[in-house]
Amino acid sequence: MTAERAYRSDWRDHAMDGGLVLWYAAAVIFLFAPIIAAIVYSFNLGVVNKQTAVLTGWTLQWYPAAWHDLSLRRAVSASLVVSFWSALISIVMGTLLGYAIVRHPSPKVRRFLAGFTYMLLIVPESVIGVSLLLFFAVTRFPLNTATLVAGITPMAIAVVALVIRARVLTLDREVEDAAADLGSTRIATLWLVILPQLAPAVAVGGVMAYTFSFDNLVVSAFLTTARINTLPVYLYGSLQYGPSPAVYAAAAAVFLFTMLLLAIAVLVYWGTRRRATA
Amino acid sequence: MKPAVGRSAAGRFNLRHASAAQTADHFLAGIPTLWLAIFFLAPLGFTVVFSFGRSTFGGVALDFTFANYATALSGFYGAAFLRTLVFAATASGLCLLVAFPAAYFIARHTSRFRLLAITLILIPYFSSFLIRVMALTMLMSREGFLEMILNALHLHQGPLDLLDTQTAVFVGIVYAYLPIAVVPLVVVLDRIPKGLTEASRDLGATRWETFLLVTLPLSRPGIASAIMLTAVPMLGEMVIPKLLGGSRGVLMGQALSSQYLQAQNYPLGSAMAVLVLLGVAVIVGLLAWVTKGFAEVGR
Repeated sequence: MTAERAYRSDWRDHAMDGGLVLWYAAAVIFLFAPIIAAIVYSFNLGVVNKQTAVLTGWTLQWYPAAWHDLSLRRAVSASLVVSFWSALISIVMGTLLGYAIVRHPSPKVRRFLAGFTYMLLIVPESVIGVSLLLFFAVTRFPLNTATLVAGITPMAIAVVALVIRARVLTLDREVEDAAADLGSTRIATLWLVILPQLAPAVAVGGVMAYTFSFDNLVVSAFLTTARINTLPVYLYGSLQYGPSPAVYAAAAAVFLFTMLLLAIAVLVYWGTRRRATA
Repeated sequence: MKPAVGRSAAGRFNLRHASAAQTADHFLAGIPTLWLAIFFLAPLGFTVVFSFGRSTFGGVALDFTFANYATALSGFYGAAFLRTLVFAATASGLCLLVAFPAAYFIARHTSRFRLLAITLILIPYFSSFLIRVMALTMLMSREGFLEMILNALHLHQGPLDLLDTQTAVFVGIVYAYLPIAVVPLVVVLDRIPKGLTEASRDLGATRWETFLLVTLPLSRPGIASAIMLTAVPMLGEMVIPKLLGGSRGVLMGQALSSQYLQAQNYPLGSAMAVLVLLGVAVIVGLLAWVTKGFAEVGR
């Protein structure tokens, strides 16, 4: 503290300190404002079954309305199914990929896989969406739940891979070498030694993959059909003629559910970490 | 003689063991690579092939013509392509401007607070993107909350006509990409050795000077990743411009998707998609070039 005082400082330093706090606070408020607004609007009466910018009075009617809205319900259940399978596939593929990015014996392969993973995240979704549509059309694959799942996995796999990669970087390499010296095959080592250590990261990555798949709009918009319509695609479609005010209630409920899942995953992560370090 | 035999036997054992391990490694890395090759690379490959094809009545004739590119680069579509490039550059720059001070604030704090601070930035990412954009529309609409605040602060008078303007699109895009820009900046700012900034202070620089002359140049790789993670996806952005910007100023994402969904002109849509991919490649290449040499220094 006293050492800090000895430094030359002028008014700009203090302005910078205050400015940074304000800037960060403003950024957080900016990011949260629409979420809070959505929750507030889920309790807002609206005018003639339309949600309005003006708050017109409190009501709880939109929650039961969302529950009883058949198309909304069908969209939510389609989203649940699609994101479940996508998360499951992404957990397997992403874990293998994230591990290989760090531990593959060939540096060339490691570099390629790392670059490839970033590519999955940044290539514009609209380009992937049209390409998948073309791909399934040319190979005469009828669009169904499976094609939708397959189409949205690449991004989810990348998310899981990055989470796993971060965890593998912290693992002690010598434990694996010891297992190999004691005669364990690579697969057995992976299954018995590495996977248990990765479990918490797999949980967090899985929840993230699930959330991202649940929320996927652009790729899904190209791959949904009249029969499978996920929640974001349904909402996007309904925007043209003004969505039912119940969508805010549905979204608020889904958000709560996601936060709960995430909290559980994080608690698991911390719990095992503490035990590991204790 | 004997030890040599023993060594070679051991060597052979290790070799066999090592090669089995290597096979397993290749196999395990191969599974996700194969999956991604089928559902990511192959579709992109189809798009590249089709971009040289010819649209016929009710189908596509595979060919080798640059006609689609000529169409995609001229007139209405050419303007859309240019507009998209400018849009992505501007929006990514804006995003960086907003993200940097926030990231700097986060990185300067001790680890427990830092975790909380970055979590707060990331939580909105876990709620429905579309609902957030819809709510943002409500906040920015006439008689909305923003109008109320701006009027109360006397920054604005009367009804606010922000929706369906370029400004609204930029607000929305910064909103959507802010978290993803903050993360790489925090990572890099956090890695800058404390000794360097302390040395700068010891030598008499103010904090502001230290920031400008030491911290900012050293955070170049983070700035590059932040630009890559925002500008590249923005090249194909189609939802935010449509919801917040109305129908004016069509961007590449909307243009190419309408070639697929409405016009059914797959070759032209493919050519547009390939142009976007070329834009992606140029951005990635440029940023790799700018941060050349940092890979060895960092970490």
